[in-house]
Amino acid sequence: MHLKLETHGTIAHLIFDRKDSSANIFDRDVLAELDQQLGGIPKCSKLTALIISSNKPNIFIAGADLKTLSTATGEELESLISLGQSVFSKLENLHVTTIAAIHGACVGGGLELALACDYRVASEASCSRIGLPETQLGIIPAWGGSTRLAALIGLSKALPLILSGKIMKPKAALKKGIIDGICPQEHLISYATSFTNRPKRQLPTFLLEHNPLTVSLIRKQAQDSLYKKTRGLYPALNRAVDVVCTGVRVSKQESFNNERDAIKELSQGPEAAQLMRLFFSSERAKKLRIGEQMPGKIDHTAVIGSGVMGSGIAYWLTTKNCHVLLKDINSDALARGMGTIESLYRSSVKRHVLSQTQANAGFDRITASTVDLSLNDREIIIEAATEDLELKKKIFSQLSEASSPDTILATNTSALPIHQLAAHISHPERLVGIHFFNPVPRMKLVEVVKAPQTSDATLAAAVRFVQSIGKLPVVVNDSPGFVVNRILLPYLVRAGQLFSDGHAPEIIDNCMLDFGMPMGPLRLLDEVGLDVSLHVAKTLSAAFPTRMEIPSILTDLVAKGLLGKKSSEGFYLYEKGNTKPNPNIQPGVSPQSSAQKIQDELTTLMSEEAARCLDEGVASSAADIDFAMVMGTGYAPFRGGPLRHAHDTNLLQRSFY
Amino acid sequence: MLYIYQCTRTAFTKMGGAMDHLNAADIGKSAVSSLLANAAIDPALIDEVIMGCVCQPADSANIARVIALRSGIPQSVIAATVHRNCASGMEAITTASERMHAERGKVFVVGGCESMSNAPVLYRKSAVQKFTQLARVRSPLAKLKAGLQFRPNDFKPLVGLRLGLTDPVSGINMGQTAEILAREYEISRADQDAFAVRSHNNALAHQQSLNQEISPVYTHGNAITSDDGIRTDSSVEKLAKLRPVFEKNTGSVTAGNSSQITDGAAVLLVGSIRAKEQLGLEPIGRLRGYAYAGCDPSRMGLGPLFAMQKLFKETGFSLDQAELIEVNEAFAAQALACIKVSDSEALAKKAGLESKLGEIQLDKLNQRGGAIALGHPVGATGARLVLTALDQLRENSQQHALTTLCIGGGQGAALWIERLT
Repeated sequence: MHLKLETHGTIAHLIFDRKDSSANIFDRDVLAELDQQLGGIPKCSKLTALIISSNKPNIFIAGADLKTLSTATGEELESLISLGQSVFSKLENLHVTTIAAIHGACVGGGLELALACDYRVASEASCSRIGLPETQLGIIPAWGGSTRLAALIGLSKALPLILSGKIMKPKAALKKGIIDGICPQEHLISYATSFTNRPKRQLPTFLLEHNPLTVSLIRKQAQDSLYKKTRGLYPALNRAVDVVCTGVRVSKQESFNNERDAIKELSQGPEAAQLMRLFFSSERAKKLRIGEQMPGKIDHTAVIGSGVMGSGIAYWLTTKNCHVLLKDINSDALARGMGTIESLYRSSVKRHVLSQTQANAGFDRITASTVDLSLNDREIIIEAATEDLELKKKIFSQLSEASSPDTILATNTSALPIHQLAAHISHPERLVGIHFFNPVPRMKLVEVVKAPQTSDATLAAAVRFVQSIGKLPVVVNDSPGFVVNRILLPYLVRAGQLFSDGHAPEIIDNCMLDFGMPMGPLRLLDEVGLDVSLHVAKTLSAAFPTRMEIPSILTDLVAKGLLGKKSSEGFYLYEKGNTKPNPNIQPGVSPQSSAQKIQDELTTLMSEEAARCLDEGVASSAADIDFAMVMGTGYAPFRGGPLRHAHDTNLLQRSFY
Repeated sequence: MLYIYQCTRTAFTKMGGAMDHLNAADIGKSAVSSLLANAAIDPALIDEVIMGCVCQPADSANIARVIALRSGIPQSVIAATVHRNCASGMEAITTASERMHAERGKVFVVGGCESMSNAPVLYRKSAVQKFTQLARVRSPLAKLKAGLQFRPNDFKPLVGLRLGLTDPVSGINMGQTAEILAREYEISRADQDAFAVRSHNNALAHQQSLNQEISPVYTHGNAITSDDGIRTDSSVEKLAKLRPVFEKNTGSVTAGNSSQITDGAAVLLVGSIRAKEQLGLEPIGRLRGYAYAGCDPSRMGLGPLFAMQKLFKETGFSLDQAELIEVNEAFAAQALACIKVSDSEALAKKAGLESKLGEIQLDKLNQRGGAIALGHPVGATGARLVLTALDQLRENSQQHALTTLCIGGGQGAALWIERLT
């Protein structure tokens, strides 16, 4: 029994409360039960309306059970999809007015159910979220969602939502016309009840938007922009364009059939499998626990150093309700850092990520100081100073003095050996690496680095802290470059050498874009900053002298003051609104590789280094390494990561899974 | 007795200058955040936040509460805003003292904040009435009719700052009260200008010490780390060229020998001696006594003398026991009048004092400059005087300081501060 049907006068109230689970999700059992409950309603002629709600504290319905979905055989999947489609159609065709009263997550199959209702109202609570994220998992909404969303709000609004898989706040969903009203949670049912005397909904006809000419235009535009963004590497997106655009022109049943055929095909392909694996990895990272005890909540923090990383971290922590003491040695540097944070907040208000009030409150949580203060009341201190081991040693001995013995001392170093700091602090068991990626607000991955001295309690607290600020932790061992930078570096170095040999930057970068990387290696070097990259290269080449060398091109460019994007000049020239290969630096004269050869060589380098990381035990599993590479660098998600890619293509003549 | 554990202030910056875009709450928040960071105490130990602010921003009713919450002080900690015009910053300190003696709290964050840059500009009543009428009527024709009622004069703004600096009872503004003192006590223009130059030179000579009083405000990518009103090129000759502001023809009070109009905040962590262990801090000083006294609103500049007379009577302290004296420089004419009257039996009688108070020695007076050089963010100044006195006592290894200021509306304030070693 996952559903409860109550009747109050002429109004039926169907309450979802999945047994033995914190979330409401759809599997065969639930669908069958829903089918049965809905079957009873037409027999009860005095009923005029049906309200559907959830009894879970912050979930309406979170969609289909992905475990079932990802393991189902072709036939099982087909019958599950058909069942869902028929149950939701039954709901849609009920003679009574139907209302979904949404509080909490209403995503995927949850929204498809709600779309089969006549009206949808949502609570204004912050846990209420609405969207169809299926394409992010390499499939498409196939319980009628691809068909009904376009029928409700029109093709031009529905298609981008399905393609982006965007999860919206109720206000945004209201603006798009997906829901019909918002109210406080306490009033949700009475507000939903106020819809019960409305007639069944008549869908708009969208005469202009859904005529053949406009539809083919929208289809063409969507296909073009998709190709530009993804180079056709994500079949689910192409199928979604096809199904949704066709859907507005054909009968509902025909469109449902298209949905079903599409999901059947997509779920058999490698891309969906990889994307779902990544999703499970993300969920694992969100739930990762070290040890038995649940560490306490951390909200008093300090960040040492107000450069790009320090200010990015301080910004992010304050958006997540942490208080931050931001320290730097000089007030001009601190002022620049605070200026960066101010503009990050400004832009988040502009992009409607935060309200003005939230932004003000966040900014208020930062106290900036250059004074040597007691840090006794800080639960965690994150050092983000310049990458210089001697400087860091000095800083850590000061932090050790100023903090209380149970303050966690974390470093954000991207490559330096952390254990070398241990000798400079008291209670070295509180030392840990918390390595954020640039730009901090956008990159979800954080490497939590365990030094030999790090205690389990410290590691557990660090992992919990990273999760509490909405980032995804991967635990790695203290080894030069950890996982992400170490695997990335040979690839970047080789790209630099290929440039020196005479391959044009567009050729090198393009072949990796074709592979599915979000950015080519030379462009990435420019973005990170050539000086920062050089620094990482130096650290790693010292650690692995036989394998990694400092590319001369990096040294040359940095010596000339070409630091990449931040100095407007690197491998590329950054002019306002225009980026082109830098004509002021010349590649070498002996290009020898074809694009395919370059791509093969560069991807092999990454996979080889990833395999070494695994063999050395830098991370505990191949899945962790792959997850870190996808989340930390954007490594082609549909390929699953460098080890998964090697595994699937037998690139290194061995298997990793 | 009220003990002072920690203090800091923002830089004082000229109206329309570096902190122009920050309102009084922003500036106060920055100061309180710095104070708490420097003290490194658990903010839950605070019993109340008491802030003085003369020109309270319309969007921050009870600005003390706004500042407290924005600084991360827990919701359960109460907050009140106090107002004794130019002595509001001192009022916050003495209110804490009274609360403590009434056993209503042991630890207080007190001080003052002001953004003179953001003093409001107001619509006249005539305009407000017409706006109300316009909003009330519905039909387009009635709207048009109501709209046509406006006259150009309705849009002539009322400058809040000017209104605030005018005493409504006597009907004259603060500069005019200084002119009265200059006339009645024969304070020459040259003496006033020389006093102003002294203020700048003292501040200039102690700029490093002043900077140590300050916790920077970080805004728009800048760090505001020092007072910006101090002139490096102040001279009697230059000041002589300025025209009197308040009495155009025969007056002597100019923009150069008056306090500057400035934004800033000064805050202190104060409390009972019993709070010492809880806070884990050693007190740096204590409030030995204080007095407020009333006087003629049109001669408000003599307020310090009346307050000092009351303070000495009540505490037994005398002027010569003060090793340093901070008299707020609202106007050079007013400060000089106080100095002159204090040491003359005849003038003291004329002013209405019982007898003369003694000599205010110039070498003890405003050694780091005063409001003429640093500016006078009205709500904050009282707290700054106490703060700078404490820091000077520390620097000079002295013990006793007298801080006093005149108050618009005809009052004076005097606080006796003792440094603890």
